[in-house]
Amino acid sequence: MDVQLKRGLLDVCVLRAIKSKESYGYQIIKDMRPYVSLSESTLYTILKRLEAAHMLTVRTAEHGGRLRKYYSISPEGLKRIEEFKAEWKEIMLICQYVTKEDSEDDEA
Amino acid sequence: MTKLNFILELQKRLSSLPQEELEERLSFYMEMIEDRMEDGLSEEEAVADIGNIDEIADQIIADIPLSSIVKKKVRPTRKMKAWETALLWVGSPVWIPLLIAAIAVALSLYAVLWSVIASLWAVFVSFCACALAGLAAGVGAYFFKNLPIGAAFMGAGLVLAGLSIFMFFACTLSVKGAVILTKAMILGTKKSFMGKETAK
Repeated sequence: MDVQLKRGLLDVCVLRAIKSKESYGYQIIKDMRPYVSLSESTLYTILKRLEAAHMLTVRTAEHGGRLRKYYSISPEGLKRIEEFKAEWKEIMLICQYVTKEDSEDDEA
Repeated sequence: MTKLNFILELQKRLSSLPQEELEERLSFYMEMIEDRMEDGLSEEEAVADIGNIDEIADQIIADIPLSSIVKKKVRPTRKMKAWETALLWVGSPVWIPLLIAAIAVALSLYAVLWSVIASLWAVFVSFCACALAGLAAGVGAYFFKNLPIGAAFMGAGLVLAGLSIFMFFACTLSVKGAVILTKAMILGTKKSFMGKETAK
Protein backbone atom coordinates (compact mmCIF):
# COMPACT_ATOMS: atom_id res chain seq x y z
CA MET A 1 0.00 0.00 0.00
CA ASP A 2 1.10 3.57 -0.63
CA VAL A 3 3.32 4.62 2.31
CA GLN A 4 1.79 8.05 2.91
CA LEU A 5 -1.75 6.68 2.77
CA LYS A 6 -0.92 3.79 5.09
CA ARG A 7 0.77 6.10 7.59
CA GLY A 8 -2.32 8.29 7.89
CA LEU A 9 -4.57 5.24 8.22
CA LEU A 10 -2.44 3.61 10.93
CA ASP A 11 -2.46 6.80 13.02
CA VAL A 12 -6.24 6.73 13.13
CA CYS A 13 -6.25 2.96 13.77
CA VAL A 14 -4.08 3.41 16.86
CA LEU A 15 -6.28 6.26 18.07
CA ARG A 16 -9.30 4.00 17.62
CA ALA A 17 -7.61 1.25 19.67
CA ILE A 18 -7.33 3.60 22.67
CA LYS A 19 -10.64 5.40 22.10
CA SER A 20 -12.96 3.67 24.56
CA LYS A 21 -10.37 3.07 27.31
CA GLU A 22 -6.65 3.45 27.84
CA SER A 23 -4.50 0.66 26.45
CA TYR A 24 -0.87 -0.53 26.26
CA GLY A 25 1.47 -1.49 23.44
CA TYR A 26 0.81 -5.20 23.06
CA GLN A 27 -2.94 -4.79 23.58
CA ILE A 28 -3.04 -2.20 20.76
CA ILE A 29 -1.24 -4.61 18.42
CA LYS A 30 -3.61 -7.43 19.39
CA ASP A 31 -6.71 -5.27 18.92
CA MET A 32 -5.55 -4.17 15.48
CA ARG A 33 -4.38 -7.63 14.37
CA PRO A 34 -7.70 -8.72 12.72
CA TYR A 35 -7.58 -5.58 10.57
CA VAL A 36 -3.95 -4.70 10.00
CA SER A 37 -0.64 -6.17 11.12
CA LEU A 38 1.70 -3.73 12.79
CA SER A 39 5.32 -4.18 13.78
CA GLU A 40 6.62 -3.02 17.17
CA SER A 41 8.92 -0.38 15.75
CA THR A 42 6.14 1.04 13.57
CA LEU A 43 3.84 1.24 16.58
CA TYR A 44 6.56 2.97 18.60
CA THR A 45 6.99 5.62 15.90
CA ILE A 46 3.23 6.17 15.64
CA LEU A 47 2.78 6.49 19.40
CA LYS A 48 5.63 9.02 19.55
CA ARG A 49 4.14 11.01 16.69
CA LEU A 50 0.66 11.03 18.25
CA GLU A 51 2.11 12.05 21.60
CA ALA A 52 4.04 14.93 20.01
CA ALA A 53 0.81 16.02 18.29
CA HIS A 54 -0.98 15.97 21.71
CA MET A 55 -3.45 13.37 20.43
CA LEU A 56 -2.73 11.01 23.31
CA THR A 57 -1.28 11.06 26.80
CA VAL A 58 1.04 8.49 28.35
CA ARG A 59 1.31 7.30 31.92
CA THR A 60 3.56 4.66 33.40
CA ALA A 61 1.99 2.30 35.91
CA GLU A 62 3.04 -0.82 37.74
CA HIS A 63 1.69 -4.08 36.44
CA GLY A 64 2.60 -7.48 37.89
CA GLY A 65 5.83 -6.23 39.43
CA ARG A 66 7.04 -4.35 36.36
CA LEU A 67 6.35 -1.07 34.62
CA ARG A 68 3.98 -0.71 31.73
CA LYS A 69 3.07 2.34 29.68
CA TYR A 70 -0.59 3.16 29.21
CA TYR A 71 -1.86 5.41 26.46
CA SER A 72 -5.13 7.33 26.57
CA ILE A 73 -6.73 9.44 23.89
CA SER A 74 -6.97 13.23 24.27
CA PRO A 75 -9.72 15.57 23.00
CA GLU A 76 -7.47 16.32 20.00
CA GLY A 77 -7.23 12.62 19.28
CA LEU A 78 -11.02 12.24 19.38
CA LYS A 79 -11.27 15.20 17.03
CA ARG A 80 -8.86 13.51 14.62
CA ILE A 81 -11.09 10.41 14.50
CA GLU A 82 -14.14 12.58 13.72
CA GLU A 83 -12.17 14.40 11.01
CA PHE A 84 -11.16 11.07 9.55
CA LYS A 85 -14.79 9.90 9.39
CA ALA A 86 -15.68 13.03 7.43
CA GLU A 87 -12.68 12.63 5.11
CA TRP A 88 -13.55 8.99 4.63
CA LYS A 89 -16.81 9.77 2.84
CA GLU A 90 -14.83 11.67 0.24
CA ILE A 91 -12.32 8.84 -0.11
CA MET A 92 -15.12 6.27 -0.52
CA LEU A 93 -16.60 8.35 -3.35
CA ILE A 94 -13.22 8.46 -5.11
CA CYS A 95 -12.87 4.73 -4.52
CA GLN A 96 -16.26 4.04 -6.08
CA TYR A 97 -15.29 6.08 -9.11
CA VAL A 98 -11.90 4.35 -9.52
CA THR A 99 -13.31 0.82 -9.22
CA LYS A 100 -16.34 1.52 -11.42
CA GLU A 101 -16.51 -0.72 -14.52
CA ASP A 102 -16.01 0.99 -17.88
CA SER A 103 -19.43 -0.23 -19.04
CA GLU A 104 -21.15 1.80 -16.30
CA ASP A 105 -19.83 5.04 -17.82
CA ASP A 106 -22.63 5.19 -20.42
CA GLU A 107 -25.40 4.64 -17.88
CA ALA A 108 -24.40 7.68 -15.83
CA MET B 1 17.08 -16.33 22.47
CA THR B 2 16.16 -15.15 25.94
CA LYS B 3 14.62 -11.72 26.47
CA LEU B 4 17.76 -10.53 28.22
CA ASN B 5 19.92 -11.64 25.29
CA PHE B 6 17.55 -9.90 22.90
CA ILE B 7 17.66 -6.62 24.83
CA LEU B 8 21.46 -6.76 25.23
CA GLU B 9 21.91 -7.53 21.55
CA LEU B 10 19.62 -4.67 20.56
CA GLN B 11 21.44 -2.34 22.94
CA LYS B 12 24.76 -3.28 21.33
CA ARG B 13 23.46 -2.43 17.87
CA LEU B 14 21.83 0.82 18.93
CA SER B 15 24.63 1.96 21.23
CA SER B 16 25.05 5.22 19.31
CA LEU B 17 21.52 6.38 19.99
CA PRO B 18 21.13 9.18 22.51
CA GLN B 19 20.94 7.59 25.96
CA GLU B 20 17.35 8.62 26.73
CA GLU B 21 16.08 7.44 23.36
CA LEU B 22 17.91 4.12 23.72
CA GLU B 23 16.48 3.42 27.17
CA GLU B 24 12.97 4.24 26.02
CA ARG B 25 13.23 1.95 23.00
CA LEU B 26 14.69 -0.91 25.04
CA SER B 27 12.04 -0.70 27.75
CA PHE B 28 9.39 -0.60 25.02
CA TYR B 29 10.66 -3.92 23.61
CA MET B 30 11.05 -5.38 27.09
CA GLU B 31 7.41 -4.54 27.83
CA MET B 32 6.36 -6.09 24.51
CA ILE B 33 8.16 -9.36 25.24
CA GLU B 34 6.86 -9.57 28.82
CA ASP B 35 3.29 -8.87 27.71
CA ARG B 36 3.53 -11.71 25.21
CA MET B 37 4.79 -14.05 27.94
CA GLU B 38 1.91 -12.97 30.17
CA ASP B 39 -0.35 -13.88 27.26
CA GLY B 40 0.86 -17.50 27.42
CA LEU B 41 3.87 -17.56 25.09
CA SER B 42 7.14 -19.06 26.24
CA GLU B 43 10.12 -16.71 26.53
CA GLU B 44 11.63 -18.16 23.36
CA GLU B 45 8.36 -17.77 21.41
CA ALA B 46 7.79 -14.25 22.71
CA VAL B 47 11.21 -13.10 21.52
CA ALA B 48 10.75 -14.82 18.16
CA ASP B 49 7.33 -13.15 17.78
CA ILE B 50 8.93 -9.68 18.06
CA GLY B 51 10.78 -10.35 14.82
CA ASN B 52 14.22 -10.36 13.29
CA ILE B 53 16.66 -8.31 15.36
CA ASP B 54 18.65 -7.10 12.32
CA GLU B 55 15.52 -5.72 10.69
CA ILE B 56 14.40 -4.12 13.95
CA ALA B 57 17.77 -2.40 14.46
CA ASP B 58 17.84 -1.22 10.81
CA GLN B 59 14.32 0.19 11.05
CA ILE B 60 15.08 2.04 14.27
CA ILE B 61 18.28 3.52 12.82
CA ALA B 62 16.32 4.60 9.74
CA ASP B 63 13.81 6.37 12.03
CA ILE B 64 16.39 8.34 14.01
CA PRO B 65 17.51 11.64 12.47
CA LEU B 66 21.15 11.58 11.35
CA SER B 67 21.89 14.73 13.34
CA SER B 68 21.14 13.14 16.72
CA ILE B 69 23.40 10.16 15.94
CA VAL B 70 26.26 12.45 14.89
CA LYS B 71 25.76 14.66 17.96
CA LYS B 72 25.96 11.64 20.26
CA LYS B 73 28.98 10.23 18.44
CA VAL B 74 30.94 13.48 18.20
CA ARG B 75 30.43 14.44 21.83
CA PRO B 76 33.62 13.50 23.74
CA THR B 77 33.16 10.89 26.46
CA ARG B 78 35.53 12.80 28.79
CA LYS B 79 36.66 16.38 29.16
CA MET B 80 39.48 17.27 26.78
CA LYS B 81 42.90 18.00 28.19
CA ALA B 82 44.38 21.48 27.70
CA TRP B 83 46.97 20.32 25.16
CA GLU B 84 44.28 18.50 23.18
CA THR B 85 42.20 21.66 22.97
CA ALA B 86 45.30 23.63 21.97
CA LEU B 87 46.15 21.08 19.27
CA LEU B 88 42.59 21.23 17.99
CA TRP B 89 42.86 25.04 17.70
CA VAL B 90 46.32 25.03 16.12
CA GLY B 91 45.31 22.34 13.67
CA SER B 92 42.01 23.99 12.74
CA PRO B 93 43.39 25.73 9.58
CA VAL B 94 44.20 22.22 8.33
CA TRP B 95 41.34 20.01 9.46
CA ILE B 96 38.45 22.42 8.95
CA PRO B 97 39.17 22.96 5.20
CA LEU B 98 39.79 19.22 4.83
CA LEU B 99 36.46 18.45 6.46
CA ILE B 100 34.68 20.99 4.26
CA ALA B 101 36.41 19.53 1.19
CA ALA B 102 35.37 16.00 2.13
CA ILE B 103 31.75 17.06 2.58
CA ALA B 104 31.89 19.01 -0.70
CA VAL B 105 33.23 15.95 -2.55
CA ALA B 106 30.47 13.77 -1.11
CA LEU B 107 27.80 16.31 -2.05
CA SER B 108 29.20 16.80 -5.55
CA LEU B 109 29.22 13.03 -6.14
CA TYR B 110 25.58 13.02 -5.15
CA ALA B 111 24.93 15.98 -7.46
CA VAL B 112 26.58 14.01 -10.30
CA LEU B 113 24.07 11.20 -9.75
CA TRP B 114 21.15 13.57 -10.20
CA SER B 115 22.77 15.36 -13.14
CA VAL B 116 23.07 12.04 -14.96
CA ILE B 117 19.34 11.59 -14.37
CA ALA B 118 18.66 15.16 -15.49
CA SER B 119 20.61 14.55 -18.69
CA LEU B 120 18.62 11.35 -19.33
CA TRP B 121 15.45 13.44 -19.11
CA ALA B 122 17.03 16.01 -21.44
CA VAL B 123 17.67 13.24 -23.98
CA PHE B 124 14.05 12.17 -23.59
CA VAL B 125 12.80 15.72 -24.24
CA SER B 126 15.04 16.08 -27.29
CA PHE B 127 13.79 12.74 -28.65
CA CYS B 128 10.22 13.99 -28.30
CA ALA B 129 11.08 17.30 -29.97
CA CYS B 130 12.87 15.55 -32.86
CA ALA B 131 9.98 13.14 -33.31
CA LEU B 132 7.53 16.05 -33.62
CA ALA B 133 9.90 17.95 -35.93
CA GLY B 134 10.38 14.87 -38.11
CA LEU B 135 6.65 14.32 -38.44
CA ALA B 136 6.05 18.03 -39.18
CA ALA B 137 8.83 18.07 -41.79
CA GLY B 138 7.34 14.92 -43.33
CA VAL B 139 3.93 16.57 -43.67
CA GLY B 140 5.60 19.73 -45.05
CA ALA B 141 7.51 17.75 -47.69
CA TYR B 142 4.29 16.06 -48.74
CA PHE B 143 2.75 19.46 -49.49
CA PHE B 144 5.76 20.35 -51.62
CA LYS B 145 5.25 17.05 -53.51
CA ASN B 146 8.63 15.80 -52.38
CA LEU B 147 7.45 12.32 -51.39
CA PRO B 148 10.76 10.43 -50.86
CA ILE B 149 12.12 13.15 -48.56
CA GLY B 150 8.76 13.34 -46.79
CA ALA B 151 8.72 9.57 -46.24
CA ALA B 152 12.26 9.70 -44.86
CA PHE B 153 11.35 12.47 -42.40
CA MET B 154 8.19 10.63 -41.36
CA GLY B 155 10.14 7.43 -40.81
CA ALA B 156 12.76 9.20 -38.72
CA GLY B 157 10.03 10.93 -36.72
CA LEU B 158 8.25 7.65 -35.99
CA VAL B 159 11.49 5.89 -34.99
CA LEU B 160 12.27 8.74 -32.57
CA ALA B 161 8.74 8.64 -31.18
CA GLY B 162 9.24 4.96 -30.48
CA LEU B 163 12.62 5.58 -28.88
CA SER B 164 11.21 8.34 -26.70
CA ILE B 165 8.69 5.89 -25.22
CA PHE B 166 11.55 3.59 -24.22
CA MET B 167 13.48 6.59 -22.96
CA PHE B 168 10.55 7.63 -20.77
CA PHE B 169 10.57 4.26 -18.99
CA ALA B 170 14.35 4.40 -18.60
CA CYS B 171 14.08 7.88 -17.07
CA THR B 172 11.37 7.03 -14.53
CA LEU B 173 13.29 3.87 -13.59
CA SER B 174 16.45 5.90 -13.01
CA VAL B 175 14.59 8.31 -10.69
CA LYS B 176 13.16 5.39 -8.70
CA GLY B 177 16.61 3.83 -8.51
CA ALA B 178 18.15 7.08 -7.29
CA VAL B 179 15.52 7.42 -4.55
CA ILE B 180 16.21 3.85 -3.34
CA LEU B 181 19.94 4.56 -3.51
CA THR B 182 19.51 7.77 -1.49
CA LYS B 183 17.65 5.90 1.27
CA ALA B 184 20.36 3.22 1.32
CA MET B 185 23.08 5.89 1.49
CA ILE B 186 21.41 7.65 4.43
CA LEU B 187 21.11 4.34 6.30
CA GLY B 188 24.72 3.54 5.41
CA THR B 189 25.94 6.92 6.66
CA LYS B 190 24.05 6.46 9.92
CA LYS B 191 25.44 2.95 10.36
CA SER B 192 29.00 4.15 9.72
CA PHE B 193 28.53 6.77 12.42
CA MET B 194 27.24 4.08 14.76
CA GLY B 195 30.75 2.68 14.55
CA LYS B 196 32.16 -0.70 15.30
CA GLU B 197 29.85 -1.43 18.20
CA THR B 198 27.12 -2.17 15.66
CA ALA B 199 29.29 -4.54 13.64
CA LYS B 200 28.31 -8.16 14.06
